[in-house]
Amino acid sequence: MSLSATSDIVGTKTRRGLTGLLLVAIPVFLVVWMIIWPIISAIGRTIWLPNDGGTGRSFSLETYKFFFTDQYSLNNLSVTLWTTGICALLLVLICLPIALYLRFAKGRLAAYVQGLAIFPMFVPSIILSYAIIRVLGPNGTVDLLLNSVGLPHIRSPYLTPWGPVIGLVWDNIPLTVLILLSGLGNVSNQSIEAARDVGAGRLAVLWHIILPRISNSILVAVSFTVLGIFSAFTLPYVLGPAAPEMMGPFMQRTFRDLNDPTNAITQAVIAFCFCIVFGLFYVRSVAKNRNP
Amino acid sequence: MSVLEIRDVTKAFGATKAVDSFSLTVGDGELVCLLGPSGSGKSTLLRMIGGFETPTSGHVAIDGEDVTRVTPEKRPTGMVFQSHALWTHMNVFKNLAFGLKLRRLPEAEIKRRVEAVLELVGLGGFGHRATTQLSGGQQQRVALARSLVLEPKILLLDEPFASLDQHLRERLREEVRDIQQRLKITTLFVTHGQDEALALADRIVVMRDGRTEQAARPDVVYREPATPFVAGFIGTMNLVDGAVANGTFTHSGFTVPLPVGDGAATLAVRPEALEIVSANGGGMAKIHRVTDYGTHAIVDIELPDGTRLKSMTSEARDWSHGQPIDLKPRAFAAYRDNAAIHRSN
Repeated sequence: MSLSATSDIVGTKTRRGLTGLLLVAIPVFLVVWMIIWPIISAIGRTIWLPNDGGTGRSFSLETYKFFFTDQYSLNNLSVTLWTTGICALLLVLICLPIALYLRFAKGRLAAYVQGLAIFPMFVPSIILSYAIIRVLGPNGTVDLLLNSVGLPHIRSPYLTPWGPVIGLVWDNIPLTVLILLSGLGNVSNQSIEAARDVGAGRLAVLWHIILPRISNSILVAVSFTVLGIFSAFTLPYVLGPAAPEMMGPFMQRTFRDLNDPTNAITQAVIAFCFCIVFGLFYVRSVAKNRNP
Repeated sequence: MSVLEIRDVTKAFGATKAVDSFSLTVGDGELVCLLGPSGSGKSTLLRMIGGFETPTSGHVAIDGEDVTRVTPEKRPTGMVFQSHALWTHMNVFKNLAFGLKLRRLPEAEIKRRVEAVLELVGLGGFGHRATTQLSGGQQQRVALARSLVLEPKILLLDEPFASLDQHLRERLREEVRDIQQRLKITTLFVTHGQDEALALADRIVVMRDGRTEQAARPDVVYREPATPFVAGFIGTMNLVDGAVANGTFTHSGFTVPLPVGDGAATLAVRPEALEIVSANGGGMAKIHRVTDYGTHAIVDIELPDGTRLKSMTSEARDWSHGQPIDLKPRAFAAYRDNAAIHRSN
């Protein structure tokens, strides 16, 4: 091969490399501009606070100190973590049997169940909130039905921490089911039959064969739901108690009602730090799946 | 003594009968190959023996005990699947130990049995390996070992070598045969490869449309096929439809003396039994093509109506394209109404 031919190949490779870089440049730029920069800016604004005299800024962790010493803020963080944890647990407990049924059942009934499980995806949160109030709220459908047969009123979850839990679980069922279903798609029928062949009953197949094979999917589903629920606004705002409140409504109220953007941003940065832990779980899981 | 008895088993999927009134008895230590084309019901039958399908009607008995409705985990069978079906989240040792752990055997006993069976399949020292690190042949050995370690009464193999290359397939089937003979384990082997069936089986059951076409020793199936279907399915066979009149079979100039009653008949001649000789005049047929394989040659013959036949000969150089020839079948069979009416050996 001549020297000029070699340099042609090198040139072609360089041009291809540049084209590749150009193709990813736009999304990378958008991510930097709309995600990375706002994060850096938000963190900067919470640690470089204006001086008392109003001239210049200096480094201070005052807002964080305030958040972690203020009982009300800590209660809000605590109720958010509680709601997120309970929702994640309930979602796995509810969605796993649905996904298992959809994976292994055949026929028309399975198609109807799938349609029903995915349906909440098409219902806006605000409609869902009012539907829950109409059904489970004081004098709602359940109360009316109980009353009609002479039974006492239920203790309504509306405006208690369980209100957002019910709404958020219902709202997140479709995404969780779809992620688990995609994970179950990788468990072949023959690997299950092989387990049954060596003597595994249904429970042993679930525990030893299916769950280990879909552990990544469960992790991804939990990460996704946690990320969504931690920063949820509409459902906790409409269905949750006034105090303590979840971080979403808390941030909104601090920003708008109290007109305190610095503390609102501090709350956002703290929420972000919790979310990033689950984000890292997700990234780790994806990276693990990509490994040959 | 029969280990497996299948009595009048039918499996219907909607209006389609995958297995139709099938009966079979398998003796202790026997290796039976279920052979047939795709859709002949052989895998469905194997799955019914393994308990993965429930017969629509009929009975399956193992060691005299009716297991027709018994679930797979409670049957004394071990199945090796076509796709290996190894559990990729477990290493080789754990794949093999899983069934033993479910049986609550002591750890030391599990270790001993797993290591012994790994040695048996030629994978000694592979226990710690991830299944994804193994080649296709090694994975299939692990799948076989996983079944053998439980010491089943019946070993079921569902086209276990289908995904392997020809060389590996030949090697593994010899190993399976050796292991089967050493352990004297009753085995049912599903395949659509006639070579595999002929090389492995004590008995071949040729299946078609869910029914038995012929169940016999491999040499009998090869030399005395019971039906034209078996004749055409096992090995290469020239099948010629023609008519018999006055003791002579005729098809487009190809005539063979056939001492049966007049009427339609199908003549079956193996290429190695179809001798070709140079014709003095026009001849019965012409040479179409000669393919030299070194050890032998296959001569493609064309009858006047375009029907193609094959003859196996030791010398390729004697024949050339377009050469007029006469045909002399040394051994043949004739069929009428799906049954043999004459055999000439």
